[in-house]
Amino acid sequence: MLAARVSTARNAQRLARSFATAVDSAGVKVAAVDRNQPTSAVTILVKAGSRFETKPGVANALKNFAFKGTTKRSALGTVRESELYGGVLSSSVTREHLALTAEFLRGDEQFFVDVLTSFVTSAKYTRHEFQEYVAPLIENDTTLALKDHATYALELAHAQAFRTGLGASLFALPHHSVTHEDIKAYAKTAFTKGNMAVVGSGIDQSVLAQLVEKSLNSVPATATASSTPSTYFGGESRIESHSGPHTLFIGYGAAGAPSAELATLAAYLSPKPSIKWSQGLSPIASAIPDGTSVQSVYLPYSDATLLGLLIQGPTPGAVKEAGKAAVEALKLAARGISEEELKKAAAKAKFAAASATESREGLLTTLGSQVLAGNSAISDATLAAFDKLSAASFTKATSSLIKSKPTYVAIGDAMLLPYADGLGL
Amino acid sequence: MVGPLSISLANYVKSSKTLSRWVKPIANWYANAAGYRKYGFKYDDLLVEERPDVQRALERLTRREKYDRAFRIKRASQASVLHKPLPKELWMKPEEDARYLLPHVVDVAKEDSERKMWDHLEVKRV
Repeated sequence: MLAARVSTARNAQRLARSFATAVDSAGVKVAAVDRNQPTSAVTILVKAGSRFETKPGVANALKNFAFKGTTKRSALGTVRESELYGGVLSSSVTREHLALTAEFLRGDEQFFVDVLTSFVTSAKYTRHEFQEYVAPLIENDTTLALKDHATYALELAHAQAFRTGLGASLFALPHHSVTHEDIKAYAKTAFTKGNMAVVGSGIDQSVLAQLVEKSLNSVPATATASSTPSTYFGGESRIESHSGPHTLFIGYGAAGAPSAELATLAAYLSPKPSIKWSQGLSPIASAIPDGTSVQSVYLPYSDATLLGLLIQGPTPGAVKEAGKAAVEALKLAARGISEEELKKAAAKAKFAAASATESREGLLTTLGSQVLAGNSAISDATLAAFDKLSAASFTKATSSLIKSKPTYVAIGDAMLLPYADGLGL
Repeated sequence: MVGPLSISLANYVKSSKTLSRWVKPIANWYANAAGYRKYGFKYDDLLVEERPDVQRALERLTRREKYDRAFRIKRASQASVLHKPLPKELWMKPEEDARYLLPHVVDVAKEDSERKMWDHLEVKRV
């Protein structure tokens, strides 16, 4: 009785929430959600992540080139003028998308949409800007990524799992020698109408569409970026490193659209407790030695998924122990888990998926990637799939995942860290 | 008219056909008579470089341009030590005497003045 009441209340809420539907504005897809918050944000999401890059590192370089000089205003002018309006400009790159974001007070949309679109249409990509401002940023990104073992392990894992495409690194290594000409050429191929989606939050959709139509008219309307569909390979790599925690990544990948089964598996394995200072309910949680951390990693992409466990610890021995527990849990899951546990994990995964669209950043990227994928709005199908999950389909998905070759990365003392077969993979 | 380094009427003269027809021969004669071409210099090698804006402009040259500039300065220094100009085949040809540095200096000066503008801006909310 109570359960039924709760669920009807939930549905009522869902009806009241306003969903964005994408409209076509001069060939560019525009979607916006207005929840009456005092600030607005606009993101131009471009299919220009590292998987589409024409030369290694150029996607990262383009991200760092964002908001530099255009024919309309200089880099300094952009910064100072946005400061006067009290807005924040940021750019980020993932394996699939480049996001140019402006966050600002309501009413300033005209200026900030102009800042975003003028970079897309008329950036100058000068050599001296590249050398003076952009190259240090690229180097900084790379240095930080290589220092942070978790990031580095995921980089290597992607390279092992997918080789090309999604395997391309998010960072530009020094030997990639990206030049301003490369960036200019890449931007020219990436910034086309079919490749872009403009997503707003806290802004009226028709206002945004109008602004976009005015300023993105000159963008060429050539075909969208294409990349070869992802294939999963897997493999092992070991890197000697002296600083930072010993790190293992044990994972599997699967080609094809991300499924609820794999998200549930990641939630099932995750030892992160729902309440602070307590022990999680995951089968791994009780077997982790003190000081060692295990995180479940679930990375869905448009045509592939990478799922695994990232283990970090102070000594190779502790990491090995946690690794053994992790592999055991994976195998246990493949043999099938109880209905009760499945319900629990599915609820956890569904909550994670649903709450991801609540934050502004999550909303903009989720909505943007949905729009770029051809859907007109965030579909409820992804959430509904968690309710339809059955133990049989979960076991089937998990066991077929585990049958493929594992992706295994070890960073730290390579002499002492375990090999993949040493953990029973 | 007032450039970053000096006052110049060059653009005004260039824009007028009659004026440039009269002034050009004198200018060419003057550039040759100044004698820097006999030491293998380009005119922009002689720009005052002990200023922060020109230093930044020098940073913006390509590697090749930087190398060639250093080479010309060394060669001319050696000729100066010997108290005589370079042999005639090494003289800078007028058509090669291009302004490779000036555009960068102008850019830097523009950036500096823009920064000054933003630093001293009075904001009026309307």
